[in-house]
Amino acid sequence: MDFRWDIIVEYSPLLLKGTLLTIGFSLASILIGTILGLFIGLGKMLRNKWYALPFKWYINFFRGTPLMVQILLIHFAVVPAFIGTTNAIAAAILALSLNSAAYVAEIFRAGIQSIDRGQMEAARSLGMTHVQAMRYVILPQALKRMIPPLGNEFIVLVKDSSLAALIAAPELMYWGRAMQGQYMRPWEPYLSAAVIYLVLTLSLNYLLNYFEKRWATE
Amino acid sequence: MIQVKNLKKSFGSNEVLKDINVTVKPKEVVVVIGPSGSGKSTFLRCINMLETITGGSVLIEGVDITDKKTDINKIRTEVGMVFQQFNLFPHKKVIENIMLAPMKVRNIPAEEARKKGLELLRKVGLEDKADAYPDSLSGGQKQRVAIARALAMEPNIMLFDEPTSALDPEMVGEVLEVMKELAKEGMTMVVVTHEMGFAKEVGDRVIFMDGGLIVEEKVPSELFDNPQEERTKAFLSKVL
Repeated sequence: MDFRWDIIVEYSPLLLKGTLLTIGFSLASILIGTILGLFIGLGKMLRNKWYALPFKWYINFFRGTPLMVQILLIHFAVVPAFIGTTNAIAAAILALSLNSAAYVAEIFRAGIQSIDRGQMEAARSLGMTHVQAMRYVILPQALKRMIPPLGNEFIVLVKDSSLAALIAAPELMYWGRAMQGQYMRPWEPYLSAAVIYLVLTLSLNYLLNYFEKRWATE
Repeated sequence: MIQVKNLKKSFGSNEVLKDINVTVKPKEVVVVIGPSGSGKSTFLRCINMLETITGGSVLIEGVDITDKKTDINKIRTEVGMVFQQFNLFPHKKVIENIMLAPMKVRNIPAEEARKKGLELLRKVGLEDKADAYPDSLSGGQKQRVAIARALAMEPNIMLFDEPTSALDPEMVGEVLEVMKELAKEGMTMVVVTHEMGFAKEVGDRVIFMDGGLIVEEKVPSELFDNPQEERTKAFLSKVL
């Protein structure tokens, strides 16, 4: 089998551009998804069942339907309904953020509920309000426990961002497919994409381990 | 001063407290004893509303805490609580554990809170542990820090929920010593405990609870030496 390095070299500027976009909207989605996820997680924990219901169904929907369907829906239906036209990059970020928020919400809830009840009771018995107890006692401990599952979620998100190729957002996988289309060769484009994704996820993994260790020794 | 009137508490269909009436006068040390499941911890937790109250009323310094208009956070600053499991904040240093509530609830500046915290640590004999994390302390030390933390809010009343039950035997003494000291200084205390020696020595009054009711309530010498009720006799014969 001959392996055509030359077409990888030829495509390398485009693959690089695609990789930067992949990194860009992964970061954007991680950021938006995490912030949104925190609120949805809090919403689901509301004591009033009726108030918690919409948050519960948000999570049900985004965890219970394929991301691919969500991306298509948002790109072709939701975004046009609001702004009349659509934009692949914006739609991809939106879909990834909304999807990720559902998972982050569950990670967040599990993190908070893993903290011993006595911590809240001790804080409240000192006269702190519920919000103060959350802020100074529960959340700092819960966030530390959330790092490993959040790391998992971020890695999944980076990989899932490849689905944006479906709506022609010019990210890494998009250029991989373009390369495949031009030369009709399976190995070079898909292996290149795989290696680049691997480098991205391994780097992210390294970064997360670093933070986990640093926080653990405090 | 604590006035508990017709206090009732149910968990679902399980009635844990049936009709509790107790008055604790200022500077009094009341010790609550009884078999496990008798409702003594629940009773204590009702006094600062860690449990919602099903019926009756609890008055702290004349203020009814079951009243919806009462600011429960304010009441809780006047009622310190020490837990069986210590419940220190593991992510904060010992001194930060003590400083947190005074700074956030009472808005005391950090400098002043630290000074006060060190003073309290000296009082419980742990000044040298100020910058340690709770994980590095022994059980007895943790509980003494927990007492200092509660005292930092300068409460009028202290509640102790089996403060020595989770400790190794050799550490019980150091915690009881701190509590005795507090009692001597005139702190109003309600102590749920299995330490009968402490009850005899420090208690002004001992309450024996069983089945969600107060069975007998007397000065320690009378209750321990001359119990009137069968249930009290049966319990004391097992623990003494």
